[in-house]
Amino acid sequence: MDGGMRFVEEFRDPALGRALAGEILGAVEPGRHYKLMEVCGGHTHSIYKYGVDDLLPQNVELVHGPGCPVCVIPMGRVDDGIAIAREPGVIFACFGDMMRVPGSEATLLEAKAEGADVRMVYSPLDALRIARENPDREVVFFAIGFETTAPSTALTLKRAKAEGVPNFTVMCNHVLIVPPLRALLESPDLRLDGFVGPGHVSTVVGARPFHFIPADYGKPVVIAGFEPLDILHAIRMLLAQLAEGRCEVENQYTRVVPWEGNVRALEVMAEVFALRPHFEWRGLGFISQSALRLSDAYAELDAEERFPVPGVRVADPKACQCGEVLKGVIKPFECKVFGTACTPERPIGTCMVSSEGACAAYYNYGRFAREREVV
Amino acid sequence: MTPTPPPPAASTPSCDVQHGCITCGDEGVVMTVLALEDDGLGACAAPGGAREAVDLSLVAPVEPGDEVLVHAGVALVHLAAGEGEWTAA
Repeated sequence: MDGGMRFVEEFRDPALGRALAGEILGAVEPGRHYKLMEVCGGHTHSIYKYGVDDLLPQNVELVHGPGCPVCVIPMGRVDDGIAIAREPGVIFACFGDMMRVPGSEATLLEAKAEGADVRMVYSPLDALRIARENPDREVVFFAIGFETTAPSTALTLKRAKAEGVPNFTVMCNHVLIVPPLRALLESPDLRLDGFVGPGHVSTVVGARPFHFIPADYGKPVVIAGFEPLDILHAIRMLLAQLAEGRCEVENQYTRVVPWEGNVRALEVMAEVFALRPHFEWRGLGFISQSALRLSDAYAELDAEERFPVPGVRVADPKACQCGEVLKGVIKPFECKVFGTACTPERPIGTCMVSSEGACAAYYNYGRFAREREVV
Repeated sequence: MTPTPPPPAASTPSCDVQHGCITCGDEGVVMTVLALEDDGLGACAAPGGAREAVDLSLVAPVEPGDEVLVHAGVALVHLAAGEGEWTAA
């Protein structure tokens, strides 16, 4: 018990937080506006849960990045999942938040209400267990997530293949973190000074994949943990780089993130997955080599090979501005439907569905329609 | 001219905001290894949490009592003792 809390409580210490906030205040140049993007949805959630942004000087602005896999899933993929879930005899297993993401006509939860057998699982291993327990049914796992969930899906596929579970397949929606960051950096309407890098994605991929950001775009990156002091510390490190004219990848989250990542996880992913030539991201459009499919050696376990899928591209709802929110061009409360037509209970856009989506974080922690208060 | 929003999906929230979103790639949990089992699996528990089956094959070798960072049923990092101490400020 003590061991686990060692990783939590001391990273929420108010006195240390105030000290870091003071150091940040001392590190900013008056008159300069700093725009820092936190890539990961887990950071967005922590920032609003703990009020981290209220400890920052007014000229340090946090922009919320595309790092929530639920938020970036396009409607067409949800429709494809629902089409498979409605196939006779199918048990469709997915993570909880995914069930509430609107497709063009329904959510997976509504498909369930209409009779489809959609079940919430906590890991792909649970879906494989369901397949073993129901040999007369086809069990499909809707795989979603960045490089942190991809190893879990990959290991499950290896087990399914080794055991020869014939009624288990995966609909693969795994995405990669680097291609959308490159797309954002190429975007002409976005000016950023630095990145709070994703913590747990980096446990798998390591720090090396982020080197292109300082090398090609001249922006510093600090990989950060998820407790409030982690995020404040990372912001202080970014401001120090900017003040000293340095530009590199640094690791604030050394207690968890090894510099080289998890090589074994990368090997398993390389065996089980292959790059898709392109994949659609909500609000960001098609990004080449940004997502994973099952490799040819695992094609028999690919749900898209076993079941017919519509594969139709569906435009996002016109009223929804998730795309601009994902690119950090507008704040959630600047969206026309934020908190009125679009709420966590009745979401229009995906950013309002997942608790790690920027809109849901703003809504759940009371940031309805105001700019940050001045410290 | 404000565009008319489409009819919103009628659904009930199912995620627990306080504990974050299990779907996101960065919802990791620190767990203690309780026992090793066959086939790379092991029993682990988060502080105050229930015993869960976790795939330990990506962080092996580990021993009961070790701490690991778990995501979606898979341990991704073997946390060495003492690495959680705050030394930055």
